[in-house]
Amino acid sequence: MIRLENVNKTFRGRDGTAVEALRDISLDIAAGEFVAIVGASGCGKSTLLRLVAGLVPTSSGQVMLDNAPVTEPRTDTAMVFQAATLLPWADVLRNVTFPIRLMHQHDTKTDDKARALLATAGLSGFETKLPRELSGGMQQRVAICRALLQEPRVLLMDEPFGALDALTREEMSLELLRLWSARKMAVIFVTHSISEAILLADRVVVMSPRPGRIADIINIALPRPRSFEQEGTEEFQRCAARIRALIFKGRDANAA
Amino acid sequence: MQPDRKARLIASLPAWGATIALLLIWEISVHVFQIREFILPAPSAIWEACVSAWPNLLRHTLATLGTVLMGFFASVIISLPLAMLIASSPTTSAAIYPLLVITQSIPKVALAPILIVALGANEMPRIIVTFLVAFFPLVVSSVAGLLAVPPELIELGRACRAGRFQELLRIRLPFAVPFVFGGLKVAAALSVVGAVVAEFVGADAGLGYLIQTSMAFFRTPLAFGAVVMLALMGIVLFQAVALTERLLFPWSSSVEGTTTATS
Repeated sequence: MIRLENVNKTFRGRDGTAVEALRDISLDIAAGEFVAIVGASGCGKSTLLRLVAGLVPTSSGQVMLDNAPVTEPRTDTAMVFQAATLLPWADVLRNVTFPIRLMHQHDTKTDDKARALLATAGLSGFETKLPRELSGGMQQRVAICRALLQEPRVLLMDEPFGALDALTREEMSLELLRLWSARKMAVIFVTHSISEAILLADRVVVMSPRPGRIADIINIALPRPRSFEQEGTEEFQRCAARIRALIFKGRDANAA
Repeated sequence: MQPDRKARLIASLPAWGATIALLLIWEISVHVFQIREFILPAPSAIWEACVSAWPNLLRHTLATLGTVLMGFFASVIISLPLAMLIASSPTTSAAIYPLLVITQSIPKVALAPILIVALGANEMPRIIVTFLVAFFPLVVSSVAGLLAVPPELIELGRACRAGRFQELLRIRLPFAVPFVFGGLKVAAALSVVGAVVAEFVGADAGLGYLIQTSMAFFRTPLAFGAVVMLALMGIVLFQAVALTERLLFPWSSSVEGTTTATS
C-alpha cells in the first residue's frame, strides 16, 4: 500500500551546505501493517515520516500510496507527534474535531463519533475540559483520538509516547494496539525504545545515521494480542539483541 | 466564591499595610523635619490640594484620558496588522523591523515639538506621540506570539490542507492571544507616559500641562495630585486590559510559558 522507491532526501542548511538526511530508502508497507522505525538520533526517522505524510518533498525517488505518488498532504493520512500539540483555547471535543473542521468535513455526526472515540480511549466526561486540565498521558490520548477521528488509512506516529513517564508509556502502548486492531490501518511508529518497537510492530525497521539508511528490517514473530509478559520470551530477547547489535554496529563504524 | 474572595483579601493585606506605612512615614517625616511644602508636600497637603482643585483636576484628567485612549486604540489598530505582516514572511520582517527599531531609537520628547509645528496645535500630534511610545512592545510581543506556534501544529494544519489564511485565522491568531495581551498591558501603561510627554511639549489642558503650570507657581501639592491621578489611570487601564482578557479569553490568562516579550 505504501511504497518508498529509492528515496533520497537532502536538506539545504542555512549556510548553503547540503545535509544528506536519507539515502536510498526502499520500503514496502502493507495495508493494516504496524511498522516501527528505530534508530539513533539524527538518522532521519522523522524526515521519513514527513515524506510519507507529504509534508516534505523527496529529493529523488518516490513515495507511493496506493500506486499514486505522494506530492502533498492527503486526507487519509493522520499524524501524532511527540508533544500532544493540542489547541490551548479549545476543549477536548473541539480539539479532537479540529482537523475535520479544518477540512470542512464537519457534520452533525462528527461530534457523536468524537464522543464515542473519546469513550473508547477512557476520556468520557472530559469532553469540555481544556488541555491544561489534563495530565500528559491524557493529552496524548486526545491527540491520538484527534488522529483516529479522521479515520486514516495510514497513521504516522513520531515518538508519540516519548514525553510520557515509563508507566503511562506501557499503558498507552497496549491501548494503541487495542485501537489499532479495531481498525485496519497501516501504522508507521517512530521510537527510540527497542522494547516498545518489538511490543508493537509486525516489522521493525532499524536505521543507521548520517546519512539515514535502512540497516535491516526485523520480522517480529510474536503472536497477537501482545502483552508485556512476552518480554521474557526467547523471540523477544532475540529480536532485541539483533536490533541493539545493528544500532551499535553502526555507531562503531561511524567512530572508526 | 465567598472563601475565594476572602483569600484574595487576605493575600492583599501586606500590600495595603506597606502602602499605609509608607504614607505614614512620609507624613511624619515632613512634619518632623519641617520640609517646606514646595519641595515635598505631605500626603495630607496633596489630598487637600486635590479636593480644593477637584473640578479643575477632573477636567485635566479627562483631557489626558482622551489622549491616552485614542493613542492606545491607534496602537492596537496599527500594531496587530503590522505584526501579522511581519510574521507572514522573513522578507517582510527584514523590511519592516529595522524601520520600527529606528522609530524606537528616536526620543519621543524630541519628536513632539516637530510634530506640533507640522500638524498644528491640536489633539493630533499628542495622539501620535502617545501611539509612538506605546505601539512598539505591542508589535514585538504580537509577532512573538504569531511565531510561537509549535511547528507540529503548523504541520497539522498543513496535513489537513489548510491554506495560509486558515492557518493564520484558526491556529496562529488564537495562539498569539496571550502574547498580544501581554503587549496590550505594557502598551496601556506606556500610553499614559506618551500622553504626558506630549502634553509637556504642547498642550493647553491635561495632567502634563497641569504639572507644568503648577510647578511654575510652586504649587507642588497640586502637581503631586496630578501625578497620583496619572498613576491611578495607569493602574485602571492595566486592570481593564487584564479583565478583558479574563472575560473574553479565560484560557489565556493562565497559559503556561507566556511572558510578555518586551525589553
